[in-house]
Amino acid sequence: MKGFKKYYGQKIFWYLLTLVFAVILNFVLPRMMPGDPVSAIASRSINGMQDSTAIQKVYQDYAEKFGINKPMYEQFFIWLSHALKGDFGVSFSQYPRTVADIISSSVWWTVALQLPAIIVGWFLGNLLGAIAAYIRGVFDKVILPFFLFVSNIPAFGMATILLFIFAIRLGVAPSSGGYGFDLIPNASWVFVKSVIAHYQLPFWSIVLITIGGQAIGMRSMSIYELNADYVKYSRFLGIKDRKIVGYVFRNAMLPQITGLALSLGTMIGGALVAEIIFSYPGLGTTMLTAIKGQDYPLLSACTLIITIMVLIANLVVELLYGVIDPRVKANQQD
Amino acid sequence: MGKTMLEISHLKTKYITRFHEDVYAVDDVSLKIEEGKSLGIAGESGCGKSTLALSLMGYYFAPLHYISGDIIVDGVKISDMKPEQVRHKILGNEIAYIPQAAMNALNPTQKIISFIEDVMHAHGIKMTKKEIYDMARERFAELGLPEEVLQKHAVELSGGMKQRTVIAISTILSPKVLIADEPSSALDVTSQKMVIRMMRELMEKGYIKSMIFITHELPLLYNVTDDIMVMYAGQMVEKGTAKEMVFDPVHPYSKGLMGSIIVPESGVRERKLTAIPGTPPNLKNPPKGCRFAERCPYATPTCSAMAIDEKVFDDDRMYRCLMSVRKIREAYGNGDGE
Repeated sequence: MKGFKKYYGQKIFWYLLTLVFAVILNFVLPRMMPGDPVSAIASRSINGMQDSTAIQKVYQDYAEKFGINKPMYEQFFIWLSHALKGDFGVSFSQYPRTVADIISSSVWWTVALQLPAIIVGWFLGNLLGAIAAYIRGVFDKVILPFFLFVSNIPAFGMATILLFIFAIRLGVAPSSGGYGFDLIPNASWVFVKSVIAHYQLPFWSIVLITIGGQAIGMRSMSIYELNADYVKYSRFLGIKDRKIVGYVFRNAMLPQITGLALSLGTMIGGALVAEIIFSYPGLGTTMLTAIKGQDYPLLSACTLIITIMVLIANLVVELLYGVIDPRVKANQQD
Repeated sequence: MGKTMLEISHLKTKYITRFHEDVYAVDDVSLKIEEGKSLGIAGESGCGKSTLALSLMGYYFAPLHYISGDIIVDGVKISDMKPEQVRHKILGNEIAYIPQAAMNALNPTQKIISFIEDVMHAHGIKMTKKEIYDMARERFAELGLPEEVLQKHAVELSGGMKQRTVIAISTILSPKVLIADEPSSALDVTSQKMVIRMMRELMEKGYIKSMIFITHELPLLYNVTDDIMVMYAGQMVEKGTAKEMVFDPVHPYSKGLMGSIIVPESGVRERKLTAIPGTPPNLKNPPKGCRFAERCPYATPTCSAMAIDEKVFDDDRMYRCLMSVRKIREAYGNGDGE
């Protein structure tokens, strides 16, 4: 048990440290963008005004409101103290909506789309890899190479291809949005059906590009494990193949779990782009609007939320790994 | 004379390589083990010892293939049985195997007890978890293994402990024949001693009825087994009791093998350590005649010309050489072999 505590303690410490750096970068980087968004907003209000002192006054008013007239480090601590309370300020581009409001309406779309898509993609990839290693034949020679090819298409490319084939040519799926544009979110069947229909293309575009990379890893791990000494030994003890395959795939899965943790960041990045192609109302689309409108409170809140999501997912995967692989526990004991 | 536990006659098996070449690793080997007896198989690496061990079990998977010969376990001819039947009924149950690399023989992510459960279930033994645990605990205690081992994973055990655990698991169903392929070769002397003691206990307590012990360490065989068989290039070259084989080897190869043992005795520094010159033949195209002829100091042109059969001498000893035993002994007496 002591070994476990040490393992978890270390992991959590490193994740917290990463979080601190992520928070700082999240704040600083968007603010280093060229251009001044406040003057852009101010210029809208001063449209038609002639008096230069009045214009100056309006600008200062906005600058104070958004807090950009203070030094950067002071802005950071003010921002941080607010952020900890869940207040990320007011959006520049969708003024006067608050950032928290915009994020909370889009983050669940992203979570609901990406979490199942990545898990399904990972699972199908591992299944395909295992089958390719064990049964070989057409799985190893045709299906796996096909998915490997597909997985090298970038996320936006995949999204565009699916969009073109299924939404435009075949017309079997809607082309954009999270639900029908003529609906307002409610708990009716019509709305749920619309959401499911809109879910398909973004979901499968993420799943399809995830499968290949996972499958190739699982295939080589399974081949390695299938030749392990314990497989031969188990055979000579009369244990059935079905059982042995169970051992093999459990052991082959373990590195795949680490692989998932490592690639989560990239996957989520790619998936956000897929959202944009489908104008899905998630974080990806929100981020794009924020970038276009130089809306850095919104942008840093988006990146921060994404960073936290990736970190949490990574941490969960690593902690889970400690439970399912007894070797981790054994290594921590001395 | 005890009951015959394992008998193989004229067994031939081959490996098929990636390039579809046949390698005849076990070529016409016959042997017999009676109840309560142990047989040691010795030879240099690549001579077919381990392949013989795998071939004995009657269950083949690529790249090893069966060609011909009979395998009879306690009166049952398993060489005629279907592979799946052999696996289900014979392996682990009648014939148990201890692999060469016992270090990696256990699934790293499984508890020892859970693996024992799998072994029991594979042979259709209907026992509850509790019953299996009690039985395993009892057996482990009998063999001097601590009970905690059952609840551990393989990675948590030391090398010697892992090896002994593997032996205990292999023999949990009290098999008739135990085949141990270099069970102690990778261990330090203390662990080696424990492993050897454990094998003896298994025999004494009747958990195994007979044993085949494969090793390249001849002194070990002399201490452990009743009989010794020396293999060379896929064939048996000589067989006899342990004592006869160590003190009175007949075949020039056995003689050479015994001569290359390092024994810590008085005068060992003065005695020259001999080695057999040359390398074993390629088994893709085994020589037609005596396989050892190329390296044999007594070889004559006739040795390579014709196949040599196994011959019996001194009632129950066997060897495979063209020369008569008397002639060989004469040659050794002249000191030619030294």
